[in-house]
Amino acid sequence: MNKNVKKRIIFFLISVITFLIIGQYIFKSLRKNTVYFFTPSELFILSEIPRGTIRIGGMVKKNSLNKKNNTYQFIITDFKQEVKVEYVGVLPNLFVEGQGAVIEGKLIDRLSLKAENILAKHDEKYMPKEVADALKNKGSWQKKYGK
Amino acid sequence: MASNFANILLFIAIISSFVSNFFFFNKKTEASIRSFRISGLFVILSFFLLIYFFYTSNFSIAAVYENSHSLKPTMYKVAGAWGNHEGSLLLFVMIVSLYGIAFSFLNKKNNFNLTKWTIFFQNNIVLIFLIYLVTTSNPFDMIVPHPREGLGLNPILQDPLLVIHPPFLYLGYVGFSLTLSLVLASLIIKSLNSEWAQLTWPWVLSSWVFLTIGIGLGSIWAYYELGWGGYWFWDPVENSSLMPWLASTALLHTMLSLKVKNLMKSWTALLAILTFSFSLLGTFLVRSGVLNSVHAFANDPERGIFILTIIFIITFVSFVIFVFYKPNDISNNQIALFSKESFLLFNNYFLLFFLTVIVIGTIYPIILSIFNETISVGPSFYNTILAPFIFIFLILMGIGPMMKWSKNILLSQKKIIFYTIAGSLILSAAIIFLANKKNLILFLGLLSSIYLMISILIENIKNREFFKLYYLPKNLAHFGFALLIFSIFLNSHFSLSKNFEIKDKETIKFNDISIKLNNRQLKQESNFYEMIANFEVKKSNFIFNLNPSVRKFFQPNQITSETSIVSRMFSDHYIVVNFQDRKSDVLGVRYYFNYFIYGIWLGLLLIILGGLFSAIKKRA
Repeated sequence: MNKNVKKRIIFFLISVITFLIIGQYIFKSLRKNTVYFFTPSELFILSEIPRGTIRIGGMVKKNSLNKKNNTYQFIITDFKQEVKVEYVGVLPNLFVEGQGAVIEGKLIDRLSLKAENILAKHDEKYMPKEVADALKNKGSWQKKYGK
Repeated sequence: MASNFANILLFIAIISSFVSNFFFFNKKTEASIRSFRISGLFVILSFFLLIYFFYTSNFSIAAVYENSHSLKPTMYKVAGAWGNHEGSLLLFVMIVSLYGIAFSFLNKKNNFNLTKWTIFFQNNIVLIFLIYLVTTSNPFDMIVPHPREGLGLNPILQDPLLVIHPPFLYLGYVGFSLTLSLVLASLIIKSLNSEWAQLTWPWVLSSWVFLTIGIGLGSIWAYYELGWGGYWFWDPVENSSLMPWLASTALLHTMLSLKVKNLMKSWTALLAILTFSFSLLGTFLVRSGVLNSVHAFANDPERGIFILTIIFIITFVSFVIFVFYKPNDISNNQIALFSKESFLLFNNYFLLFFLTVIVIGTIYPIILSIFNETISVGPSFYNTILAPFIFIFLILMGIGPMMKWSKNILLSQKKIIFYTIAGSLILSAAIIFLANKKNLILFLGLLSSIYLMISILIENIKNREFFKLYYLPKNLAHFGFALLIFSIFLNSHFSLSKNFEIKDKETIKFNDISIKLNNRQLKQESNFYEMIANFEVKKSNFIFNLNPSVRKFFQPNQITSETSIVSRMFSDHYIVVNFQDRKSDVLGVRYYFNYFIYGIWLGLLLIILGGLFSAIKKRA
């Protein structure tokens, strides 16, 4: 009986310690691999500029797309603030001026971003969910963008 | 007219389902099962009616109007029936019924009491979802006045693989409803024992095989159609199909202990509940619109809340039944540490750990989004956490099956394990040095997967049992899994990708590869324009052509890129093109050199074959 209780206590302690270590490990790497999303206005009022990879979203400003050497430059706007984006690479099919886009990359300064990736998994019916939600929150939503 | 007729069919199905419950409580078991079959029959009829409406482009039905178009090829018209929220839900209900009906016919002889209760639970799952269907997402809703033309189906979904991918996935997901019903029934009549495990085995396994096929098809589709060069993106939608897969894989291994030694009854019951709950959670995540993906049809929060309520009710009721009818288990303390049982238990711990990681990575962003914070969790989260545990998992997979039931026998196996480790060390070191890739993670990945492959081969050659029917399923599935992990590591460390812009007649060179754009052609098909680019690719002395294209669909108005892939022995050359910017004649090109993709498909195929053999083999 006594031996059995002892065995159980040891088993219980080992389980708790394993759980704590593994839990710690999971959340540490979760924090390391989290990519935050901002709208241009949110970037503008942030007290500290994020260093790592972030995502920004908004509309690609009309007539803002141009190309210098190999670098594309365009402006992402939420109609309150604008972020300049530089990108070397291939623009996806659904990247069109006047439509929504989500850009992943690192900030050069507060309102300019060096893009690593342009996300365009959506179709033409609707814009990226993050962008739609952000525009709705900012009151810049217009009927013509969809539901 | 059409809509009314279809609604009557659904109505009869619901009534029959209620009647089945009524007979059940009045102890008229035969009648109860018969009513269940009738209800199922009408669900099947209404599903075929929906297919007919899609086939004939009947735009008076809202679901047809929103997801079809008269110019669409017939195959995609038919597939449109389950390519939307309402239709896919009807498919869901139909499969719950089909499993129940199949079980009620095939299991007539043995254990009538079990059949009775199983059908009762299956019937109530059907009922809950039928009510959900007609109240929030009726596929037969009418549109007045009738539109002349439909809105069309998202072109990305117009792919032959996607015609069969959802039905397979659903046959898997939904098949676990029968597993749950069987577990609940056996809890109530107190027959959760090895006999039950024998009887249930083929049912659980066939759902598992379907789910594996479904996940595999989705992965192949993503590889060929999405044009990102990869086969798995740790996308929340992909993850939500992996969750029930991991839970059910754990369930299958636990059922082995139950089958042979009558052990781990509670664990089996809990895993069965967990598996179906994750199937439902997957459905919720994918369909409710909380995720942004090509799968998200319903953007209506009311539906999402309804599905969440259903998940809660089913899981809660199952747990209550489990607590009240808890089976008697022998304590785990009495299991010998180096026995087969305890290795099966380790297997479960690992699978549940993988499951936890994936659940956290998938759910955490959703929970944060409630607090208005938008984040995403990158693939490196999964890769870095899972990799070290996969290594240990593979090693244990090599040792576990050598163990004997209830006995410590590690000592006599020491020699074999030592030789296997030595052999796999030499092989993986050879690969690392020949390829000149000195990477620790790659080395460990190769080491552990080669170890598992060798140990399966040695073990079987020694005992001359590889093709004995009894061991074949396990051997195939485990070997397939090792090959899968082996190929994944090779693929992720040896593949290349290059993005560039190119004009007609221009040549781009890098490493030992040169790519030339010969010309472009324009073509018109029934529902799209297509621009086909002709590339000439040269690698060492090997020259070949690739013809990727860009399609502009009429309805819905959308542009898609079609990939072009040439396979050589161990590698794929993969090109996708984009209209770079609409003013110039430059094409944007993404080129991928994908290593050992076939190993991944072959590994999956072996896993599936293993499952199939086990499901159909004669039970000992």
